[in-house]
Amino acid sequence: MHFRRNSFYYFLIAPSLLLMLWLTVYPVLNVLMLSFFDYNYIADVRLFIGFDNFKQIVSSKLFQDSFFNTLIFSLVATLFEVGLGLLLALVFDGEFFKKKQFMTLMIFPMMLSTMVVSAIFKTLYHQDIGLFNYLLTQLGLQPVGWLINPSCALSSIILVDIWQWTPFAFILLQASLQSIPQEIFEAARIDGTRYPQIVMRITIPILFGQIMLVAMLRTIDTFKLFGKVYALTQGGPGNATETLSTFIYREGFLISILGVLQRLLC
Amino acid sequence: MANLRSKSNTPLFWILMLFLLLITLFPVYWIVVTSLKTPLEVVLPHPTFFPKTFTFQNYQAVLQSGFLGNMRTSLIVSISSTLISLVLSFCAAYALSRFQFPWMFNTLFLVWILLVKILPPVVLAIPLYTMFNSLGLINKIHGLVLVYQVYTLPYCIWMLFGFLKALPLMYEEAAQMDGAGKMATFAYIVLPMMRTGLVATSIFSVITAWDEFLFGLLFIRTPSLRTLPLVIADYIGEYETLWGNLMSIGMITALPILLFSHFVYSYYTKGFAMGDK
Repeated sequence: MHFRRNSFYYFLIAPSLLLMLWLTVYPVLNVLMLSFFDYNYIADVRLFIGFDNFKQIVSSKLFQDSFFNTLIFSLVATLFEVGLGLLLALVFDGEFFKKKQFMTLMIFPMMLSTMVVSAIFKTLYHQDIGLFNYLLTQLGLQPVGWLINPSCALSSIILVDIWQWTPFAFILLQASLQSIPQEIFEAARIDGTRYPQIVMRITIPILFGQIMLVAMLRTIDTFKLFGKVYALTQGGPGNATETLSTFIYREGFLISILGVLQRLLC
Repeated sequence: MANLRSKSNTPLFWILMLFLLLITLFPVYWIVVTSLKTPLEVVLPHPTFFPKTFTFQNYQAVLQSGFLGNMRTSLIVSISSTLISLVLSFCAAYALSRFQFPWMFNTLFLVWILLVKILPPVVLAIPLYTMFNSLGLINKIHGLVLVYQVYTLPYCIWMLFGFLKALPLMYEEAAQMDGAGKMATFAYIVLPMMRTGLVATSIFSVITAWDEFLFGLLFIRTPSLRTLPLVIADYIGEYETLWGNLMSIGMITALPILLFSHFVYSYYTKGFAMGDK
């Protein structure tokens, strides 16, 4: 009875539900299940081994490096993007000449696709003919091995992410800043509160929820880091920029493809 | 705020603004300029800030390299995956926002697709590859369109769900009172009122599919079927010094979205304000 009366809604949800079951639920369950087996792709044999895979992975040096790189990347990039985004939002507060046009220009970086951004920075970072090193030498400084020096490759990628995604934090925080009633600030000003105090005691506490939301969105996104590393360093030099995603890509995917290929050939 | 607002007409404010714009836009300027330089000028040890000789030869070279085929793939893939997602998600979001399914299905479903959005896509890639491989969907445009639903469908459902939740129920109630069936209410009342939401959602869905890299990398093998981000990645990796070509591909990839930047910006703020509720 319930179903017949509301069959319309079941009919509406069915296609999405089926597609999501097939494209996401099944693969996730598959990954979970396989993680407890020793799966020989070449022979297509499965052997239950409990948590051994996890132990093995966690103790591998490459995994540890990838994990820490991802963690550092995610934390530092999020911190800078949210911090700078908030500062920008404060600068762009209030009304001024051609504000909307300026804001549109400010969000250009986040609208470029990651590969385009990587391409630009690959040329700027180039050791010998890149612009950054040229400017450094013009200033009488030593050139930097942006992407080829293990100790600064990760920072260089972080810098790219900060350039690309600070605008995201900026426009979201700017929008919430605009929605705060102006009376609050006027009252504070009449009471003689100085600007830094207004920011620290009024603006940031009011925006706290939004700041946390933006930080969460950026943390989630930075944790998936793959494209920039693939394009800029391929995880190198050494393992200096290997991330969890590139690690999974390398270990899981390339190896399983090889397995499939080998099975086809044999 | 008041303090800054009064400052906003001082020279200091405009110097700061100029500085911010310089940092933000310089790389964009750089891609334009580099794409117009001759191949020789690009590799000079002293980079020039302005092309000595303007040339379109990079663009010509790129267009002759079979790049139009890649552009076509990118267009087909991003538009059709958006259309499929839009239709499916609009139906699903309507059902989820207007009807309480048994066993807390609504919450479970919405949380699940949120988790899918949070999950790094590379995790799903291995089992999906095996599945698609056995179905013969690897290296096919429609296979790519299908797998992009992993990104676009959860996204569209959440966004349209937010828009639909914000829509006042009284129009639908009035229509039902006038004797319109569920189907008619859905098609003639709700759909027209959701225009803004649908446009905003489709913009982001198109951008997501246009920029997608990982699944494209894994699921497409034939060079002529590659999407634009893959072509760019190839150029970065293999032809280190063909920067002029690389930059012109980048320009062509970025241009459609940059041209609509104003539009995207206004929908972005709108979309987020609605989608978060």
